[in-house]
Amino acid sequence: MTSAPQTSGSNNAGKSRDKNAFAPQIQVFEPHRASLPPLIPYLREFWRRRVFASELAKFTDKAEYLDSKLGKVWLVLNPLLLAMIYYLLVTVLKGGKHNNGITTLAHILIGLFTFYFAQTCITSGAQSITSGGRLILNQAFPRALLPYSSSISAFQQFLPTIPVYIFVIIIGKLMYPATQVPGITWHFIWVPFIVALVGITGFGLALAFATMNVYFRDTNKLLQYFMRIWLYLSPILWQPEMLHGWHRAVLYLNPLGPTLSATSHIWIDGLAPNLAEWIGMLSWALLSIVLGGYFFISRERDFAVRI
Amino acid sequence: MPDDLAIRIEDLSIKYKINVDTKRTLKNAVMRASKGERVRMRTVEAVKHLTLDVPHGSVLGIVGANGAGKSTLMRSIAGILPPTEGRIIVNGKISTLLALGVGFNPALSGRDNIILGGLASGLSREEIESKTDQIAEFADLPDGFIDMPVRTYSSGMYGRVAFSVAVNMTPDILLLDEALSAGDASFKEKSFTRMRELCEEARTIVIVSHALATISELCDTAIWMHKGNMLAKGKPEEIVDQYLKFLDVGTLPSNFEDM
Ligand SMILES: Nc1ncnc2c1ncn2[C@@H]1O[C@H](COP(=O)(O)OP(=O)(O)OP(=O)(O)O)[C@@H](O)[C@H]1O
Ligand SMILES: [Mg+2]
Repeated sequence: MTSAPQTSGSNNAGKSRDKNAFAPQIQVFEPHRASLPPLIPYLREFWRRRVFASELAKFTDKAEYLDSKLGKVWLVLNPLLLAMIYYLLVTVLKGGKHNNGITTLAHILIGLFTFYFAQTCITSGAQSITSGGRLILNQAFPRALLPYSSSISAFQQFLPTIPVYIFVIIIGKLMYPATQVPGITWHFIWVPFIVALVGITGFGLALAFATMNVYFRDTNKLLQYFMRIWLYLSPILWQPEMLHGWHRAVLYLNPLGPTLSATSHIWIDGLAPNLAEWIGMLSWALLSIVLGGYFFISRERDFAVRI
Repeated sequence: MPDDLAIRIEDLSIKYKINVDTKRTLKNAVMRASKGERVRMRTVEAVKHLTLDVPHGSVLGIVGANGAGKSTLMRSIAGILPPTEGRIIVNGKISTLLALGVGFNPALSGRDNIILGGLASGLSREEIESKTDQIAEFADLPDGFIDMPVRTYSSGMYGRVAFSVAVNMTPDILLLDEALSAGDASFKEKSFTRMRELCEEARTIVIVSHALATISELCDTAIWMHKGNMLAKGKPEEIVDQYLKFLDVGTLPSNFEDM
């Protein structure tokens, strides 16, 4: 370690920081412009403390639902009831001749559950920094762990909705034996991948909005309207097949469009995602995690000053 | 950096930018932009060109009036606030107990909070679980309060748990900002003993306190900060004396005037 004066931000400073960051004992804190800290040590620290994120998710859920036994039930009941309302709305608007009513319900249900997974990642992740006050002021750790924890929590809330979906469909099939439901096919092995891509997309967007929320405290409020509009623009209350020609751009310009389309195809038709859906899903996941991550990590050292 | 140094601070300056006018919202930003106004920002220089070396195994006390920049300095040593200018080099694992309290979640029990705090500071699950009992025992809360939600704690109980977490993380460098203010006499005694133990193990402690007796009793060096500057550095008794005189008279000693 040289003690020669270094101009901040020079190559020299960058190098010495890199070198030291690998020796966990010596840490150097220097001024930063809006630039990335050394990424490899950052990610390693992030990975090393990932248990913190999952425990935080567990404990926060515990604290939140400690008092009400119904708490966890509400998490499932809420989207379920909403789905019923939307279902009634859609079938009434269509004029009542719903020969494939259960299919429509299935499409709305699984779409809404998936969308809510992403929405919870984004909205609670967006608040995680501004509401993390004391933790952020008093402990140094990779801040991305907080939105990550929100995503874990969102995933844990999403999981029980799958059996609920299956249950509702089985009931529907029993009541209307004519309904088309897919049997068990191999294509269901794609489901975890799709869910993971939803999670990654949601986490990436959460990183972006969490950063924005530090600078503009009303981001959260705007986000609520934004999510509502996003819901209507997504193929949940309507079928992706309704779009033709260049209108299909609406589907692929939506970060969740390809995923929701693929989800519906798998769960309802038992079909694997097509190539366009794969490309769409992977691109959106990659784009949001890279851009959101860059935006967040390059600014996170600023958070403590602005909270 | 010489091997015997735990902390080296080189020409450190830290500025806060405060938005004077309104709340920072998108709405206000758009309103201002449409009127062509600019945001009025005020800069507070909380630490000014501070240079300081802290050797391993020493106990440094920091005294100074409210707003002198003590907590800001502590946060930057902990790596929480980035320097605006200058550089801080830290050699060792840091454990902090800073003024605003720990990141405790009031709805969770003391024990759960201990585990979360340990994980956040980078311990593994096993490490923190093996320490939890020891920490709970050191905090020595009455009547099983350790398993009650933190919101039911008195401020002294809160302080006890926080302090126990900080000292039992086996840190190389322990940063304490007003950590001992809430504990009662018997806990204070216990914490002094624990801190002396830590010193003997050649660990480094930095203490910020308004209880000047604590500073002169525990520290082997002290500094006096005033409006972001380090006015004096030396033996704790002398620094405390000078500081007390300043508090009495209200003006800086003449030899500090040019600072
Ligand atoms: N988050 C913040 N945003 C803006 N300014 C701040 C912030 N925190 C502190 N300051 C300013 O920085 C200066 C130093 O504050 P600091 O908290 O470091 O003082 P201190 O020496 O710890 O005081 P005390 O003895 O009251 O704890 C003060 O002028 C304060 O107004
Ligand atoms: Mg303070």
